Amino acid sequence: MDTAHLVDLLLAVGMVVLALQVVSERAVLRSIILFVVFGLVMALAWTRLQAPDLALAEAAIGAGVTGALMMMAWRRLLIINPDQPADTPRGRSRVAVPVALLAAALVATIGLSALNIDPHANGAGLIALDELTDTSLGNPVTGVLLLFRNLDTLLEMAVLLIALLGARAVSTPAHPNEAAVVETSAPLVGALLAILVPLSILIATHLLLAGTNEPGGAFQAGAVLAAGGVALVLTARLQPGERPGVVTQLAVTAGLLAFVGIGVGIMAFGEKLLVLPGTWAIYVIETAMMVSIGLTLALLFAGAPALVGRPK
Amino acid sequence: MIAELLAGLVFIPLGATLLVLLLPRQARGYLCFTAVLALPLCLMPLTQAVWADGEITLALAEFTPPLGIVWRLDGLALIMLWLTAIVAVPVSLHALTSFPPGEQTGRGFWPLWLMLLAGINALFLSADLFNLYVTLEMITLAGVAMLGIGGNALALKAAMRYLLLGLLASLLYLLAVGLIYGQTGALDIYLVGERLETDRLAATALVLMITGLLVKSAIFPMHVWLPAAHGNAPGPVSAILSGLVVKVSLYMLIRIWFWMAGDWELPAAATALGLLGAGAILYGSLAALIQPRLKMVIAYSTVAQLGYVMLLFPLASINAFHAASYQLLAHGLAKAAMFLAAANILWSIGTDRLHALTDLNRKLPVDLFALALAAVSIMGLPPSGGFLAKWLLLEAAWQQGAWGWLILISIGSLLSAAYLFRVIALTCFHPERRHVPTRWQSPPSSASIAALVLALLAIAAGFTSAPILGLIDDSLPPGGIWP
Repeated sequence: MDTAHLVDLLLAVGMVVLALQVVSERAVLRSIILFVVFGLVMALAWTRLQAPDLALAEAAIGAGVTGALMMMAWRRLLIINPDQPADTPRGRSRVAVPVALLAAALVATIGLSALNIDPHANGAGLIALDELTDTSLGNPVTGVLLLFRNLDTLLEMAVLLIALLGARAVSTPAHPNEAAVVETSAPLVGALLAILVPLSILIATHLLLAGTNEPGGAFQAGAVLAAGGVALVLTARLQPGERPGVVTQLAVTAGLLAFVGIGVGIMAFGEKLLVLPGTWAIYVIETAMMVSIGLTLALLFAGAPALVGRPK
Repeated sequence: MIAELLAGLVFIPLGATLLVLLLPRQARGYLCFTAVLALPLCLMPLTQAVWADGEITLALAEFTPPLGIVWRLDGLALIMLWLTAIVAVPVSLHALTSFPPGEQTGRGFWPLWLMLLAGINALFLSADLFNLYVTLEMITLAGVAMLGIGGNALALKAAMRYLLLGLLASLLYLLAVGLIYGQTGALDIYLVGERLETDRLAATALVLMITGLLVKSAIFPMHVWLPAAHGNAPGPVSAILSGLVVKVSLYMLIRIWFWMAGDWELPAAATALGLLGAGAILYGSLAALIQPRLKMVIAYSTVAQLGYVMLLFPLASINAFHAASYQLLAHGLAKAAMFLAAANILWSIGTDRLHALTDLNRKLPVDLFALALAAVSIMGLPPSGGFLAKWLLLEAAWQQGAWGWLILISIGSLLSAAYLFRVIALTCFHPERRHVPTRWQSPPSSASIAALVLALLAIAAGFTSAPILGLIDDSLPPGGIWP
């Protein structure tokens, strides 16, 4: 057994153990932290499977944003009910063992079927690589997301907007400062932010531009941008606002506006539905999507319809 | 022109959502309602085109399968799109008063409702397994969020359960799509049907898909989330969830079973699906019979009525196909009407406990009339859409000598008559009962008219069978299983 196999084995065993710990841990906070670790190990696994785009997305969204969202939810629970620590009840649920057995059987069945997979010679993946040579793109994932199957991406953006609209419709807005966790006047906070926030913008822009030829793209870039926003919310530099203004609304809809505007507007010029007119259109749409994804995730994190600057 | 109209079905509501978020408050109501009214206008020329030339296909972004996504509009999809448009107009009329676009609840409702419409239309057009998944996610998320508008504690609890079960179901479906894509390198339903061999992988994928879709459609015994969700949702949202949203995953189930796996020999699985339908009919009807609240009766009735559609799988004949399509259509209209009428009663009296609802025939004659007309269709009394659906189903069972199913359908109809007559008897014929409600206000007339229009359409569906059945005949599944 060589080193590569050993690493794979370690990742596989590590993921199963971490997953078990995530569900069996009683303290919710520890469970969340373990989940974030699980997401990072998962990202490593995707790298080993030579899916760097997925690894980036898993690390940024699966581990980063999701973990931050869950921690914020945990904090809200503490604020609502300070006396009772948000722990899961003692003792094992009656359905735990049957559910675990069922899940194991499911994994085994799927695994056994997947072992026998014999990919079709004329699969979409090979055709995508073939078609990619006719475009100016170097990253087949971006090709699939923005050109070959762009309706999926467009509707995924709609799903994200629905999530934000749903959160707005269902939840009561957080109070100003409720989202902040750092003593805002501490001297090091400003210095930290002065590094973190520009860095998040820089990395996001790099991921976005790299996405045309290498791993990266609007989803990963948006998640990194959201991390910058989360830092600003945590330090109360940005605070939950009551009503979304025009700028907020424009920013959260920008991705869809650009996508629908170009993809459907193109029909007025005699082109077919969702045919993009060139590489510039891909850049415009991806940039707008990055802004929308970043702001939407930051808003979901803050649990607020809008974000406003700290009052002086 | 055809491509523009197809695009309109999805992108008019989607674009309207974006505009609603950006425009000032005053303009929103008109914009939302206009966007909904545009849907039937788009469908009319499309219907003519399907009528004349048969199925319409549109390769999006000019990439054809296996790489690209294709929209296919055939008779069955067209009927479902019409159901969506026809239910959407009165429901929106109702929502103009129950969720005024300028107020807090309206600001939550309208963008989600328009997004939901875009998702439903995109789903009916799509013939791509992964694209169907994305549209189904749009629909589930929007449905869950709409359920929580207004912040009623029972509704929020139901929304959470719906969300968790819905996500589990999506995950099962997605796992199956992954397996199928790994094997065939394709996602288009037709192409997958050609390429997929009947082996263990295909069987695993089909079981996962069906389980996921059964949870989403709330077919017995996976119905546990539905009654609380539909029974506690705010006014028009119940009508939307029961009339449209549960139909969507049933439609997908029919597509996948008959189009993707059309030539597989699966008699045992088909019987199993039929038995689930039988369980749904019996359990849903009996549970509806003992519910203390009007909206819960209607919600359990949905569990029961969806069971009839499941009988399509074991019967699998042209008649059964007619019947199932007609049941989807007629139930969608009648159930939306019932929930709108119930919403008006609830709004007017402040409770929907059956024992508090007395003398409705004098207080709310229009709403009670709508409720009763819709009940006629649900019970399957002539002349209504529901009658036609059940008659066709009985005929299908009779032709094949399937006496078990025949008896089941008859018992189901009797039970539905029992629980609906109970509602009507309690609401009309006990004027002297003591629980006189203290609160009382008459509902807006447009809200009552919306319920009545839908109920009349459910009855009228009994007279328009020829063109609808003609459309279905032109879009029967491929494969030679049709006796």
